[in-house]
This record gives sequence, C-alpha cells and structure tokens, in this order.
Amino acid sequence: MKGGMIAGAGRILLLCATLLAPAAARAEALACGAPPELLEASAALPATARAASAGSLRILVVGSASVLGPGTSGPPAAWPARLEARIRARVPRLKLEVVTRGARGLTTAETEAIIEAELHQGPPPNLVLWQAGTAEAVRGLDVDEMVTALNAGLSKVVAAGADAILMDQQFSRFIRANANVDAYRDALRLAAAAHGVPVLRRWDLMRFWADNDLIDIERAGRTERVAVTDRLNDCLAQAMQALIRDGVAEARGRPTPR
Amino acid sequence: MRQLIRGLQHGPGGQGGRDLRADAFRGLALWFILIDHIPGNRLGGLTLRNIALCDATEAFVLLAGYAAGIAYGAALDRRGWTFAAAVLIRRVSTLYVAHIFLFVVFTAQVGYSAAALESSAYLDELHLDVFGEQPYLALLQALLLRFQPAFLDILPLYIVLLLLLVPALALLRRPAVLMAVSALLYFVVRLLNLNLPNWTGGGWFFNPLAWQVLFFTGCLLGYARPRGGRRGPVPAVPFHPLLATAAGVALLIGMAIVFVNDYGEAWLAEAPPRLAELLTTIDKTGLHPFRLISILAMAYLVGHAVPRDAGWLRSRAASPFVLMGQHGLPVFCAGIFLAFLGRLALEMDDRWPMQLLVNLAGLGALVLVGVIGAWYRLRERGEAPRHAPASAADPLRPPVPSTTTMS
Repeated sequence: MKGGMIAGAGRILLLCATLLAPAAARAEALACGAPPELLEASAALPATARAASAGSLRILVVGSASVLGPGTSGPPAAWPARLEARIRARVPRLKLEVVTRGARGLTTAETEAIIEAELHQGPPPNLVLWQAGTAEAVRGLDVDEMVTALNAGLSKVVAAGADAILMDQQFSRFIRANANVDAYRDALRLAAAAHGVPVLRRWDLMRFWADNDLIDIERAGRTERVAVTDRLNDCLAQAMQALIRDGVAEARGRPTPR
Repeated sequence: MRQLIRGLQHGPGGQGGRDLRADAFRGLALWFILIDHIPGNRLGGLTLRNIALCDATEAFVLLAGYAAGIAYGAALDRRGWTFAAAVLIRRVSTLYVAHIFLFVVFTAQVGYSAAALESSAYLDELHLDVFGEQPYLALLQALLLRFQPAFLDILPLYIVLLLLLVPALALLRRPAVLMAVSALLYFVVRLLNLNLPNWTGGGWFFNPLAWQVLFFTGCLLGYARPRGGRRGPVPAVPFHPLLATAAGVALLIGMAIVFVNDYGEAWLAEAPPRLAELLTTIDKTGLHPFRLISILAMAYLVGHAVPRDAGWLRSRAASPFVLMGQHGLPVFCAGIFLAFLGRLALEMDDRWPMQLLVNLAGLGALVLVGVIGAWYRLRERGEAPRHAPASAADPLRPPVPSTTTMS
C-alpha cells in the first residue's frame, strides 16, 4: 500500500486497503473493542467516497461542547482532532481538511444554523459530522424542535451534495438518572434513519465500554480522569473512522469489510 | 387483599357498580409508568410503548379523565357546580403539594448522584445543574410549574387538566359542546404550536392544552347523566363491527410504526422521504393525532373485549393492580419516588440481580401503598367494606363523600 499507486483507481485501492481495512479483528482493535454492529454505517456515504477517490476530503464537525474535547489534555486530544490525525496517518496522500465548529451548550437549532452557514461559505464540506441532542436532553427542551432542526439540517446537507453522520448523546449514568434521555435518543435515531444518514451511536458505544470496564469516565479517579477522557476521545475517533470506512465501502458497492 | 377492594362485593355485572376495569388498567398503567421512568430497566422493553403508538401516559390521562368524570360529575349532580369546583380545587392543591415534595426529592437526588459519581465534569459541561447555579430562581420557577425536571412532568400536566375541568364541569351535561370546544382547542394548539412555557427553554414536555382532549374524552365517557334522581347508565360507544375493524387497523398501523421506529431503520431509509419525515414528527408533547387515535382505538377495543363483569377482574392475580388503581394518587407519587430510588440503584449496578431486585421491590412497594391506602380508608370509616353504589368509582379517590353517606 505504499507503492506507486497514483492513478484514480490506485487511490481507490489504497482507500480500500486503509480507510476500508477489512477483517473484524482489525475493526475491533481499531475501535477499542467496540462491538462490530455499532460500527456499521447502515447507509452509504457517496459524496465522501467520491471526494476520497478524487484525493481531497473536507470534513465539517459541528456540535456542542463534546467536539471541543472537554476534560481532555488539550485540543489535539479531542475526537475530531484525533479523527483527523488517524485518517492522515492512514491515508497520507489524501488532501484532508477538518473544520470543527461548536460551543458548549449549543442546541440542535443553533448547530443547524452553523451547518447552513458553512455550507454556503467557502468550499462546501463533503462530509458533515453532526453531534446533536445533548443540550436538548439535558435541559429538557422540546423533542420536536430538535427533530425539526435535524430534519432541516439533514435536508440541507443532502441538498448541498454532501454526506452527514449524526452523533448522539454521550452515555452517562448521571444523565440517564437525571434526564429523560431516551426520548431524545430515539427521536435522533429516527430522524437519521428517515434521511438515510448513519448515526455514530456514542451512547451505546460508551455504555459498552463502561459496562466492560474499558473506559468509564464516571468511575475514573480524579488522577486518571484526564487520561481516561483522552482515551475516550481517541476511541470515539476510531469508531467514527470505522463508520466512515463502512459507509464509503457501502457507497462503492463493495461488501462491507467485516 | 381482595377484601380491601372497593366494589368487589357488589357482585358482578350490576350497572352503576364500580367499574373495576378502570381500576385494573390504571393499576397496570401506574406500574408501567414506574418501569418506564427507570431508564436502563430491562423491563422497559416489555411495556405498552413497545407495541403501540401510545403508552402508559396516555392510558393514565384517559383513565384519570374517566375517573374525574364519574367523581366530579356525581358531585356536580348532587351538590352543584360550586361544591364540585371547590372539591376539584382541593384536589389540585393536594396534587400541587405532592409535586413540590417530589421536586425536593429530585433535587436531592441530583445532588447525591453528582457526589456519588465523578460527574462534576458533566455537571459543568452540560449545565444540568440549573438548581445549583440559580437555586432561588429555580425554586420560584418550580413553584410556578415553569421548571419541571425530567420525569416530573406528569403531575403538572394532571394539575392543569383538573384546573381546566373546573370551568368544563359546567359543560359536562352538554357532551357535544364540551367535546367541540376541547377538540377545537386541541387543533388550534397544534396548528399554532402553542404550549405553556418552560423556564429552561421550550414548552412543557406534556402540553396540557393538547392533552386536555384525551382527558375530557375520558370525563365524558365516565360521566353518567342522572335519570330520574338516580345515576343513569354510563355512556359507551356502542360496538360496531366497522368501528372495531377501524380501531384494529389503527392499532396495527401504530404497531407497524413503532416496529419501524425500533427495528426498521434500513426500511425507513428506503421509504419515500416525506413519509419517513412524517414518521419522525409523531410527537408526544402535543399528543400527535396518531397517538390520540391509538389510545382511543385501544380503549374502544379493550372496553368491548373486557366486559364489566369479567371474572379475572375479581381474581387474586388482578387484585394488586385493582388496589393500585383504586388508590391512584398515593401510588403514582410513590411510583415517581421509587423511580428515583430505582435509578440510583441502577446507577450503581445495572446487571440482572439488581434489575430483578429493583423491579420486585418497586412493584411490591406500589402494591403495599395501595393496600395501606385501602386499609386507611376502611379504618377511617370504621366499618367493614360494604358495597357502595354509584360514586365509589374514582380510582384517584378525591375527597368526595360517597353516595352511601350522601343519599
């Protein structure tokens, strides 16, 4: 995979060998032991596949606080930065640009406005990674307003010829006990399905990691909290990478690597 | 346990006797509400919401309306509007105090969870702790019912519904007018997207201005107009094969929608975009018409499938649920409180022994509350249970004297 494959077809092969790397064992090792079914895209990412074939990929990451990696050792440890680093390491030839926009406590309607602005200024992204729903769930805001914003935003992304992946709420026993999070999770999942958009099921992933004592921020001691949060962000980046890879493989009509 | 049940001794079948069906199904709804209020509870996969486009909340509100129609309707007929309204207001005060108590419990729980788990990072990130940030304002807003933490949204709904019933009582004897006004309000509220305001943003999780249509439907189904000084027959939507078929089809469609939502993501992606988007917008907040149709269809079919004198209603197995339904308010409040404890327990450990413990203890405690409520009631009367016709049909047991003492 380091050979002189420079032609377009060569790039596709390159991507297949790297971004789309096969074998379940590989996927497991990649996403910190996450169950393979959580890394399935369930929908194709045609725009991403085209852009990757053409050798240049623009990713827009939008969300509330968690795209900024709160609690990590610093901005390079946040999951969007880790995702960028991981894709770069795997596909050095790809001209990759990752733009991250977000702020603490943004609602879905607010992040939707950011997406719309980004779609219309400068070169539009090929792939939008949209983390949403946490602010609504935690503050008990209207489920239907969140759904309306998701429907509007996803329609715009699709209309602009880009792909989207939603990311749902982070798992936390505290949130589960103190917020009606399931209502928002279900609504988000449903909106994604209605638009044929994959969801990175962060809740299920983090719950799996917590249940299996792999990564559990809430049970981490104060001294190791930063290290655990770094690891969480890196694992989320790996899961996102696996999901993108699966969606690209789906778009290319190849059997999904599993 | 069975001798504590009101209306059991009346014997089966008697028109005007207590409708044990309403009690039994309300008991079941109260249990489902407890289960559904504990996220992470495995039993949550077995409740009504998994097979129908409505859940225990809809059932609870419809049956609450039914009970209110019986109890306050009887008070209206016997003592007039002023007295019935006063009784209603007293009931609302009780509910309000109960809600504020549960709010205090909830606030304490948030604090406890935050301390027990290493979650200060979450609190900080998520602004979950509005109470910690602005305690005085939060308290004020809670008193105004403008601040409703998660899972504390059903009692405020119920409070407003009962308040709406105060003027609506006057229309109880004109069902067509009441229904028309109620339906009109429902459609206007849905069209204009009106809701009561919520301090933390948005509106109430359960919009009372929309949900009233279900409540008043229940009221009208429960209210029996007096005929010649006696309580008349309870109005019922007569059985008709076409209507039953339509109800069955509605429930099947609802079930299909629920299954598509739960398991049919791949199918949904292939579905026409407009249909798929429509499915995402079936909201619970404003009681989407699909949900309203589902609960009404279900009530219609169940009401005709289960006769008033069905033997199982008087069986040993059903008696815990009948008792729970007959003492709805304390059982409901205890359920919300137990849900707090259940969530704390599952926070610590959500493997199956704890799941089993939480659910057994939860149901046991609910039944116990029902038993204690019934026991008090008997002792207060200082008499053995005997049959009380007419009025005794209010599962939430508002403080209306029964007809045995009034007539």
